[in-house]
Amino acid sequence: MDDDQGQPPILTAVSSSARQLYLLLRCIAFSEKAHVQITAKGLKFSVDDASAMEVHLGTSLFTTYTYHAPPPTARSTHSDSDDDNNEDPDLPPTFQISLPSLLETLLILGLTDPNTNKPPWARDNATSTAFSNNVLGINNMCRISYESAGSPLSIILTESSIRTTCSLTTYEPDYCDEIPFDREQLRFKTIMRGNWLGDAINELASTTPESLTLVARMTSGKPYFALSASGPLGSARVEFNNTPQPSRPTPAPTNPTDPADQPANLLETFQLSSPITLRSTYKFSLIQKAARAMSVATKVSIRLDNQGVLSMQFMIEVEAGELSFVDFRFVPLVEGEGEYEDETMLGEEGEEEGGMEL
Amino acid sequence: MRFKASIQNIHTFTKLTTSLNSLGPLAWVKLSDQQVCFTIIPEQGTQVWAVLQIDTIFDTYTVQSAAGNVINLEVPLTSLTRALKSALNATSAQIRLTKKDNVPLLALTIVTTTSSNHAAFPTGTRNDEDGMENFDNTFGSGNRETIVTQEIPVRVLAPDTVAGLHEPQTREPDVHIMLPPLMQLKSVSDRFTKLALVGAKNGSTATRTRLEMAANMHGCLKMSIKTDAMSISSVWTDLTNPDLDPSHVSGGDIGLAEHPSTRMKQLGSADGRSEEGWATVRIDGRDWGKVMSVGRLGGRVIACFCHEHALILYVFLPSDTAGEESVLTYYVSSYSA
Repeated sequence: MDDDQGQPPILTAVSSSARQLYLLLRCIAFSEKAHVQITAKGLKFSVDDASAMEVHLGTSLFTTYTYHAPPPTARSTHSDSDDDNNEDPDLPPTFQISLPSLLETLLILGLTDPNTNKPPWARDNATSTAFSNNVLGINNMCRISYESAGSPLSIILTESSIRTTCSLTTYEPDYCDEIPFDREQLRFKTIMRGNWLGDAINELASTTPESLTLVARMTSGKPYFALSASGPLGSARVEFNNTPQPSRPTPAPTNPTDPADQPANLLETFQLSSPITLRSTYKFSLIQKAARAMSVATKVSIRLDNQGVLSMQFMIEVEAGELSFVDFRFVPLVEGEGEYEDETMLGEEGEEEGGMEL
Repeated sequence: MRFKASIQNIHTFTKLTTSLNSLGPLAWVKLSDQQVCFTIIPEQGTQVWAVLQIDTIFDTYTVQSAAGNVINLEVPLTSLTRALKSALNATSAQIRLTKKDNVPLLALTIVTTTSSNHAAFPTGTRNDEDGMENFDNTFGSGNRETIVTQEIPVRVLAPDTVAGLHEPQTREPDVHIMLPPLMQLKSVSDRFTKLALVGAKNGSTATRTRLEMAANMHGCLKMSIKTDAMSISSVWTDLTNPDLDPSHVSGGDIGLAEHPSTRMKQLGSADGRSEEGWATVRIDGRDWGKVMSVGRLGGRVIACFCHEHALILYVFLPSDTAGEESVLTYYVSSYSA
């Protein structure tokens, strides 16, 4: 069924570094299966595990990226194994694959590199060092292709004299409740460095908290943002004060190519839709899953919509100038937060509209 | 019955016993005037028949017995390896067969020289730094000689016990090929085995890590594995298919012309994309990983593929002296499809 004559493959993409793809996809490695959605703009990998996690592999990550939308007719004839596949033909191709298998596969590339350049008498040396090619991820090529609906996702890794071909079985997409995030109805938005958020979460994790509360308000014209964690062992709070302190040294910039005119402010952007103090609580263990993304991200945009859904979007610079995005969305905890419930249930939207003008 | 030898290459000997030990706990060691043979025949899995030239590991070697100067021993490899590891820093080491309370044992006598102002384990760099001190100590009284004797209980095997043990017979191989460095092969096969286990986690746990190995007569080696979630294969190209020596093939030139590998040469292609011309065997991934551990010894490896039957590896140990080479032969049998 996959040797469809005359039909161009839905996707052919070539990347010069499987390592980059691996680093990005590892951020969401919390599930056996991942949904893959192919569009003309890139590949989207998503994992649902009480919170939504998505990795966007934009076309800029690939040296070539060719996408042919599947013709609707072809799709209906191909869905012979599943007659109830009554998806909208306009929907981009979506399927599931085994995420651990994909990650392991991407690691194969470069495994054998260090030996190839060595003289034969050095073959029993250690297979890798901190700076060997397999760690730096150079000198290899990765080709991803998807022929047509129902065919496996094929990954071909090429290096000097070894060619590895991997066919990942594609599974029907699961029906899943997407966590809706309404970016038109924002209650709060801030942008900061990814590792600052990561440091805060790490700090709070030491008390093994159960929940994490976001607090945001304007205090005497200055933005105030705090993360407060509480659990059976007590509670802790990390505050981000945007007091202008020009003398404050920027702690270990992750990205030296950042514009020099970057303000020393902790919070780059701070938008709050209402003057009322914002409080929203999430399960700590879920937020902690984003730790890997925090550690590699240049910037993180933290947003809250009207329903209290928290979105964290991580901007990851895998190579100079090439930006990729990893998205996490979390649903709030609602128990025992009377004040919070009132806020969401009542006429918040009216205030929201006023607030958007900020 | 006498056996005594000094070990001239402790590192090689240790690496050898370590990699043999991964396949089985006991080795049949046959000591004779010409060579030393190590044979591992495990209940299940790969057999190893190693024939070592005496000077590969030993020096000043004497073996005497009533049975034509041949001694057969059953040696526990774990104890031997452990004893050898303690001799890695030795200035000299000797091994001999002896008896204590009527139990035959191999006594390994390790002589280590340490100078008194050093810790028990002098490192290479420290020796370099204070080389002058060492120089002084050689003439002073600072040097201390430590002699440790490790005893490894062994069994002496009667000639008729081992008379029934024969090297496996296989038919002429369909494909023979020089393998890429074993450590490289091992890193890929280990990853494959891991992939199979990832796939098995959500499905049937009984899934075996069954690798499929194939080679053709055009320098290609293919390793693949299939799981529910995926199938993956790696292809090596530009390897060498060594020429057969007509004098070693039964029937000489005619035999060579009719050799299975000559026929296989007609099939397949050098880029490894053709479906034809592959000789394939199915092996257990974990067992293969153990076999690959011989890669630490270095040396050339020639693999002989008997299609759907067996895989025979000849591991040639690097040697300083020309002439007869030491060779380890691994017999890996193929699972049926």
